[in-house]
Order: sequence, then structure tokens, then C-alpha cells
Amino acid sequence: MKNLIFAEVYKLFKQRKTYYAIAAIFLIEIIILFSAYSQGQSILDILLDNLSQSFHFEGNLLNGNLLIYLILNTLWFHLPLILIIIISGTLTSEYKDRTVLSVMLQPISKWKFILSKYIVAILFTLTIVLFLAMTSFLLSYAIFGKGDLIVFIDTLNFFESSGAYYRIKYAFLFGSISMVFFSVVSLTLAIILEETTKTWIAAAFFLIISNILLKVNFNNYFLDKWLYVKLTDTWQYLFYFEIPWDKIYWNTSLIIVYTIVTMLVGIIIFNKKDIA
Amino acid sequence: MIISGQNLSKSYTSINALNDVSITCSAGEIVGVVGANGSGKSTLFKILLRVMKPDTGTVTINSKRIKPIGGIIEKPALYEYLNPYENLKIFASMQGLETNRQFFLDSLTKVGLPLNRKDPVRNFSMGMKQRLGIAIALLNNPECLVLDEPFSGLDPIGIASLHKLITSLATEEGLAILISSHILDELNKVCHRLNVLKYGKIIQSGTTQELLNKCTTAYVITASNIISSSILNTYNVTFKNDQATVIIQPGKISELLQILHSEHINITSCVPEISMNKLFEN
Repeated sequence: MKNLIFAEVYKLFKQRKTYYAIAAIFLIEIIILFSAYSQGQSILDILLDNLSQSFHFEGNLLNGNLLIYLILNTLWFHLPLILIIIISGTLTSEYKDRTVLSVMLQPISKWKFILSKYIVAILFTLTIVLFLAMTSFLLSYAIFGKGDLIVFIDTLNFFESSGAYYRIKYAFLFGSISMVFFSVVSLTLAIILEETTKTWIAAAFFLIISNILLKVNFNNYFLDKWLYVKLTDTWQYLFYFEIPWDKIYWNTSLIIVYTIVTMLVGIIIFNKKDIA
Repeated sequence: MIISGQNLSKSYTSINALNDVSITCSAGEIVGVVGANGSGKSTLFKILLRVMKPDTGTVTINSKRIKPIGGIIEKPALYEYLNPYENLKIFASMQGLETNRQFFLDSLTKVGLPLNRKDPVRNFSMGMKQRLGIAIALLNNPECLVLDEPFSGLDPIGIASLHKLITSLATEEGLAILISSHILDELNKVCHRLNVLKYGKIIQSGTTQELLNKCTTAYVITASNIISSSILNTYNVTFKNDQATVIIQPGKISELLQILHSEHINITSCVPEISMNKLFEN
């Protein structure tokens, strides 16, 4: 199993597309930072014009914490989209090049092979989120410095700099679990569909539908509590004034269970499939 | 006997790909499966290689090795972005083989691949990819090798060189080798036994010589002075340049060649012409 995991990591980092994905994530960060540097202050001035007449803000609101929060918001769509392209590609490219057949002609068990792909997909996702978090902290603090964070969720929330750092740090942590869920779903779709374009379309469709349904108020206790789409935005709860930790723990536990179930379904399907 | 497939059948949605096929291969033996495209060769080999489950029938491999069987289906499937060394290394590491650099160099040398190529295999010719595919199939020392259409896409030099490699693997290392092709000429040079597959059924089988004799309807005799032969005029013969195509039974060709020799005809070759209709008729 250890050998299979090492082999998967080796293959992943031997392919150019992996580096293109990392470069794309870094480029998105740079664009956000550049846009904020060139236009951010004037936008903030317009938004906070009324408030600044009534309240006193400590320091510059266009600071590193706000920028990291903006970068964190790539967890809605940009980051999972890039992840599903890379992760599903680790299997669809093997179907396309038929290397999955060559692997299955070796004394390697099917379930171990696909489980190793899932493990590497999870590790890669966590590494990418860590990379995003570290680079956004480093660049944002280096360019814009620290300061109070202003966030609009239902209402405007203000957090002191030290509290903002704490909340953003945990938002990345819980956000990484949502990203793992999308990665695992995309790999399972790759097992079912095999073909690259079909898998990308299906995975992107899944992501879009998830984001749309997240905004729908079902007014149903069961759906609001158990439906997966209501669990993928847990990282946003870190920016409520009072952090609802019970809700965060419940959502996180449930999405981990859904992730494991999705993996098991994928492993069973792959095991039953003829590799032809 | 190393490998045996008994009463194998497989259906897809709309067609019956294999119908009660049985095949065996022993150590040191090369067994060929000839059939037109779509005859069921690849399905049969996928089942023998255990990457596809048959609807009915069984595959038995009499080997206690970790990897009893290795093979290539249709064309070698390699990690195109890796070089030959890296391809061997990754396939070896996935199956937990304890290896070192010399092992991989020896493996590449064994199949006749140059050791100085460090570029990705996407730049390689089909012949070189076939060789690397065989090197990967031979990892972990299997007792049986299954090669589906190994000659497809190869130039004549590549084909001759692959013939040599396959023969040496059977004779020197005692591997049981099963090969398929849709071109009989490629198989009759290396195979001890042949099976003819048509519409998913084996319609003829036997030693290569038996099948060739059964299906040979004429011989092409080449000689610079072939036109001056008088004996040939008593046969159904057509002449073209230095060649005469004579319709004659395989059992009588030896006698004809002796007479031609006595007529001072300088024969340089005598090639059987195999009737594909006879080979593929039920």
C-alpha cells in the first residue's frame, strides 16, 4: 500500500498539469492582491462612507486580514474547480492512456490501487489548501500588514486583528475538509465515467449545483441538517460574531462521513468493473 | 501446462464476443491465436490475463509465483511522460519489487532497448514501446506471457527483432507465450501451435505445420530460369517474372522441387501460399 501511495505521488508530481494547477492558484492570489492594491481603498471608502461618520476604525481596513479573507473565498468555486480537474485527471488520464490496464496486469489488488489514489487525492488537496493559506498569509501581511477585519455575513461584523487571524486560520482548516469532499467526489465520478471531459462536466456541474442549493432555504429540518450542500460552507461560520462551534463540529463530522461513504462507493464500483 | 482457459464465453450488450473457447499453453511453448479484427482475440486475452471476468468458463494458471502471468493488450500502455527507466521503476515499485539501478538496466538490455535514451517514451517508436511493454510484463518473473497484437504498427526490422526476442524468451527462459495477430505470416514464424478464432469461436487448431499444410493451396517458386522448366507445364501454373505460382498439394512439393533441380532450375526460394478462405472456413 505504501509503495502504491509513493507511486501515485511520484506520478502526480511528474506531470506538468499539476504545476499548472499550482501556478493557477498562485496567479489567482496575485490578481486578488494586485486588484486590492490598485483599487481596494477607493471601493472600501465608498462602502464604508456612512459608517466612518459614526464609528472610529482602528488602522487601515484594507489590510492583510481582509485580503486573506478575500483569497479564502476562492474556496467557494475557484479552488474546488481546479482541484476536481487535477484529481479526476489522475484517473481519467490512466483510462485514456490505458495505463490502468497495465497496472492491473501486475500483481496489484484493485481496491488497494484505487484506495491509494483516494489517499493521494486527499493529501494533495490538503497540501494545496495549506499552500494557499501559507502564501496568502505571507503575501498579504508582507504587502498590506495586519489590521481589523470587516466581513459582511448577514450583517457587518468587525473582528480585531488577533481574532481575525485566529478565525481565518480555522476557516482554512475547516475549508480544507470541504475541498477534500469535492476532490473525493470528482475521483468517484472519474471511476464511473472514465472519460476526461465527461468527468469534468459532471464534477463542475456537481460543484455549481452544490453552490446553488446552498443558497436555497428548504425550510426543512432534515434537509438543512443532513443535506451535503448545507455542510460545504462550514468554514464561513468562523466569521459569525459568535462562532457556532456545535454546528461546525456537527457539519464537519457529517461531511467526513459523507466523504468516506463516497470513497467506499468508488472503491466498490472500481472493484466490480472490468478494466478493458 | 502453465495456463489453461476452458469453455470461456463472454457477451457484450449486442454481441457474443467469445463462445465456448478453450486454449492451453505449456512452458517453453509459443501458441498463436489468429483472427480477423473483432474476432474476439483481445477479449480472450483480457480474460486470460484476468482483467475481465468471463460469463462462463474458467482460467487456470499453474504457477506459484507472485506474478504468474504478464502481458500486453492491444498496444503497450505506458506512462508517456516518463522515460523507459522511470516507467520500469514505477511499475516495479507499485508491486513492491526490491530492485536497484542495475536490475532496470539489465531489464532494458534484455529487451534490446538503448540505455542512453532519457527522454519521455512519448517520443519512442511503436517497436521500442512494445519492447518496453514486454520488459514491464516480465517484471516479477512471470511464467506465462500474453501478447495481444505485438506486431501491429511495427516495421519489418521491428517485427524480425521482436520474433527473435519472443523465441528466446520461450526457448531460453521457458516461458509459456500466447500471441495473437490478424496476420498469419507473423505467427507462423514463431508459433508451435495455432488457433484460428472466428466470430468468438475457435474453428481450427493444431500445430503450425499441420494448419499451414491444411490451408496451403499453392507455392511460389522463384528461380532466374524458371520459365525454362518443362515439368511445370504439367501443373496449373502462372508465371510472373522469375516466379511461378504452382497449385500443388503440400505433400507433393518436395517431389516437384527435386524434378526442378534435375532440370537445372536454380531455385532461390519456395514460399507456400496460404488460402485465407480455407483457414477461416468452419
